[in-house]
Amino acid sequence: MFSKQKPMWGEKTQLKSSYDAVIIGGGLHGLATAYYLAKEHGITDVAIIEKNYIGFGGAGRNTAIVRANQRTQYNVPLYNEALKLWPILTKELDYNLMFNNCGNLNLMHSEAAMKAARMTIATAQFHGVESHLIDAKEAKELVPALNISEDITFPIHGAMFHPPGGIVRHDAVVWGLARGANKYGVEIHQQTEATGIKTQNGKVTAVETSRGTINTKQVLISAGGYSAALIYGMLGIKLPISVLTIQAMVTQPLKPLLNHVVSSGAYHCYANQTLKGEVATGAHMDQWPNYTTQNTAHYIKHQAEALSEFLPCLRGVKFMRIWGGLADMTPDMAPIMDGNDHVEGFYMDCGWGYFGFKSCSAVGKYMAQFMAEKECPEILKPFNYRRYEKHQLMGETAALVNYTPDN
Amino acid sequence: MALTITCPICGKRNGYEFRYGGEDKGPRPEEAGLTPEAWCDYVHMNKCVAGVQKEWWFHKDGCGSWFTIHRDTTTNLEVKGPEADK
Repeated sequence: MFSKQKPMWGEKTQLKSSYDAVIIGGGLHGLATAYYLAKEHGITDVAIIEKNYIGFGGAGRNTAIVRANQRTQYNVPLYNEALKLWPILTKELDYNLMFNNCGNLNLMHSEAAMKAARMTIATAQFHGVESHLIDAKEAKELVPALNISEDITFPIHGAMFHPPGGIVRHDAVVWGLARGANKYGVEIHQQTEATGIKTQNGKVTAVETSRGTINTKQVLISAGGYSAALIYGMLGIKLPISVLTIQAMVTQPLKPLLNHVVSSGAYHCYANQTLKGEVATGAHMDQWPNYTTQNTAHYIKHQAEALSEFLPCLRGVKFMRIWGGLADMTPDMAPIMDGNDHVEGFYMDCGWGYFGFKSCSAVGKYMAQFMAEKECPEILKPFNYRRYEKHQLMGETAALVNYTPDN
Repeated sequence: MALTITCPICGKRNGYEFRYGGEDKGPRPEEAGLTPEAWCDYVHMNKCVAGVQKEWWFHKDGCGSWFTIHRDTTTNLEVKGPEADK
């Protein structure tokens, strides 16, 4: 990882004392933004500053699911563009991102959930995204392993089927974007911790790092779950974010049985079968903010119970590997992308919760445009920081029962 | 990773008996002269400290009290707050 050999993305370079733009966080949003800054806007004097190694955070910990069946009119076009970019990026980067558009099957367990799905599907169809409402029998035809009997905790009433979604190999996206960005001259500095942002007369002047000061007029913080703490620590800007550990696990490899991504809100469980045959599955977030990224017996048990109820053929199958990552949740389940607001030259891209992976390609493209033109692109405007004080929360959740850290 | 919370009435209990109630932000701001920015700051905004923070908890599956503790968000361990020594 940090060997003396040449890194996989290109040549190792010396950290310079100044750059046109500095990006804090070597995750997918940072890498994609750097890639598009260089490719589309000719801004190649860019440094990505990463405390650990690229893809250490959410980029390498998510369950690799991509889809564009969100709820609001602001989110759907953004995720749809991100979804359409996977085959394009595979060609552009000349890197196999292993996009498998196997489709997503989102199970509904009540008539209320079916009603909410109808609205989500109408939004998707209005925006030209393929999404259908199907009944339990049709769901069973798509995934014969499903248990559609009525004697489980949450019987399946039907499902939202979204054929264009699927799975992308997340590590490949990290490596492909790193190599792609580096080809245009972007520098990646691992094991370099950003410790502060210097400002003068309301403008960014420099970024302080563990390896010295870097002069720059533009800085983006896109550090996934660590963004909110960094932004408050460096600039004193508080964010409407709660950072929660979200857990995931994979089973031992099995013969092919799941040819779609299957998810269930009621069971708090989503699962897909990897090309190796393991069932990769994720759980709900921890109920209180923490940065531990550790698994708990509580969720491993919960996951086993949920999976063995709606996919009973998985009973007795062993979990092989478990891990955790961070989800930075906002009250309206939608991200915050803004810039030049508090401080000129300071940009933020955070609050993605568990949606950071599926959005990274399109967000990189538009954040790069934002930083290059210094004007917020139309598509990103609804995601501004000030919407909370204007009471313009976005409504990604159908109905808020409680205001808890995870919504 | 086990989380335990010390309820002032019931003592040290399993963390899943409690509901997290947010970062401690002090008293609710006065209505007079309240700006949307100040209200938003009180309702939504967090410091998201990676370290020790003072926070609210509710003993939902217990006595029903609301109380504050200090907890290290990087370890999930309760720690003694500065008030404990007074």
